[in-house]
Amino acid sequence: MSDGWRQHLYHALLWLVALFFFSPVAWIILSSFKTADDILAVPPKLFFEPTLENYVALFERNAFLQQLTNSIVLSVCAVLIAVTVSFLAAFCFSRFKPRGTDFLMFLLLSIRMLPATAVILPVFLMYVAFGWKNEPIGIVLFYAMFSIPFSVWILKGFIDGVSPRFDETALVNGASYWHVIFRVILPQVRPGLIAAFIFNLIFVWNEAVFNFIIGGIDTHNIPVALWTGAYADGGVDWAFIATMTSVYLIPPVIFIYFFQKYLLVGMTFGTVRGEV
Amino acid sequence: MALLEFRGLRKAYGRAIALDGLDLDVEAGVFTVLCGPPRSGKSVLMRILVGLERPDAGRLSIDGIDITHVPPGRRRLSYVPQSFALYPHMSVRDNIAYPMRLQGAAAREIHRQVDRAAQILNITHLLQKRPDQLSGGEKQRTAVARGLVKDADVFVLDDPLVGLDFKLRERLMDDLRAMQAELHATFFYATADSLEALTMADRLAVVEAGRILQHDETEAVYDRPQHEKAMQIVGFPRCNFLDGTADGRGRCETPAFAFASEAEADGALPQGDIRIGIRPEAITVTDAPAADHLSGIGRVRLVEDLGAETVVYFEIGSETLVTCHPVGTPMPLGYDDAIPIAIDPQHVAVFDRGTGRRVGRGVGNGHA
Repeated sequence: MSDGWRQHLYHALLWLVALFFFSPVAWIILSSFKTADDILAVPPKLFFEPTLENYVALFERNAFLQQLTNSIVLSVCAVLIAVTVSFLAAFCFSRFKPRGTDFLMFLLLSIRMLPATAVILPVFLMYVAFGWKNEPIGIVLFYAMFSIPFSVWILKGFIDGVSPRFDETALVNGASYWHVIFRVILPQVRPGLIAAFIFNLIFVWNEAVFNFIIGGIDTHNIPVALWTGAYADGGVDWAFIATMTSVYLIPPVIFIYFFQKYLLVGMTFGTVRGEV
Repeated sequence: MALLEFRGLRKAYGRAIALDGLDLDVEAGVFTVLCGPPRSGKSVLMRILVGLERPDAGRLSIDGIDITHVPPGRRRLSYVPQSFALYPHMSVRDNIAYPMRLQGAAAREIHRQVDRAAQILNITHLLQKRPDQLSGGEKQRTAVARGLVKDADVFVLDDPLVGLDFKLRERLMDDLRAMQAELHATFFYATADSLEALTMADRLAVVEAGRILQHDETEAVYDRPQHEKAMQIVGFPRCNFLDGTADGRGRCETPAFAFASEAEADGALPQGDIRIGIRPEAITVTDAPAADHLSGIGRVRLVEDLGAETVVYFEIGSETLVTCHPVGTPMPLGYDDAIPIAIDPQHVAVFDRGTGRRVGRGVGNGHA
């Protein structure tokens, strides 16, 4: 009996911790249904009359729909490119093992060790010189470039886990490398591809600094809009922040809810692949 | 002309030499087994044959056509690798059909061939399953079936039965043998297990340290091993070897026996340091040895009862020998019991200790 009692306590504790970490999100979502006055009321109002005013106002903003579209298009395109390129690169690293593979892999990842502020100025100057500023393609390529190193790392781990004997069986039976990559390897590393996809999506989805600096009106995504629109009419526009954030939360929440098991796979570099 | 010809194949990985100028001819329609200890170069030879590795030197040809630089997919070979390498994302049926799909065979033909292969290997009931639902033996049979559906010039099997339990191995050996006979196909099969080799091979090639020691009819390899290592590799229980000397006039001495020898057809009488090989079953336990047999009294050291036969280790003249007998042979079997043994000198092989080459055999016990 005491075991059951401990278990209940344990579960209660887990719920408590989870709710604690969820409370800012809850505050945002609740605030989006409050009037501007209710949001800042002291003491905070837990019971209030919900209103959709904020949402109506949000969707009436000129740029909102374009910014939402930008967010979706930029992240999906960038991540698709990144995952495709990374998959092919990871295959080559894993199978052909060029001299110095380990060092190359380290070099590749080192780009993620740089703080963004260290590279933002040169990147900005480069984009201006190329005429890529405010070009969606330019932003997509930048995000893809930034996403590739980590994806190569994840995917190389997964492809290393697929025995080269599978490739050999295909090759002996007359398959091309194209066939080996897409028909033999790909179906076996699908969890890795999805994990890489999610990880990069989270990064690109929330990226604001580069978009703000090297992008422009045509490329601004929701994080940039939040950043630039937060301060309005001589104060912080909490209703706007809460509403836009609530809408912005929906796609990743749905996506991650359905693919969360792959997230675990990605974090552990495929070591728990067997459970998926 | 042989179907497969290997000429002067060399392959090294860093400083480790896998193949050391290997020559071999494999004949069409014959079950040829390549038998050798682990790391003797069997797998490397198989991988070079199917095109997964390039030799450093030498060449190989099929049907007279040089294929040294032909990519693996164009060699018309079927390959069953040591690891099963069954695709986990495909059903057993799709796995078996895979080589035919890649060849672009018609769906109906694929279905027919897969059913046939599955029937031969007794896995029809598994066709809808996935590889991770199969036992080791079932995976093995699926891998063999996949190797057999393809329309190929040569079926290359790289130790496909390794690690299976004994009963299953025995059954699959029979299946493979029957299949080869039925298809009149050319089988080229690598194994480290001399029982597998002796059971299945029409012709046996013994390989050691990247060279072929002997390649002949299976019986010939077993009865007249041309190299000390060939005798050691092929046979179970392990063969007895004794070091001794020969005086160059036919007389050989070892710590256990002295005997008279004769030269091989084209050679001189054994001389100098020799090593003699005697297969366990050539040693009989008898009180009344024939006049020309080598004989002596051994002391029992260890007895292994294998059911159908009994393996006895005994000591004679400071050497320990092993002999095996069908169960029922009357003999004392306790530790240190004395057993009278006799050896037909015809079954004593004499090797040069320096080169390992066969230089002669026994003809009598030297008393005559």
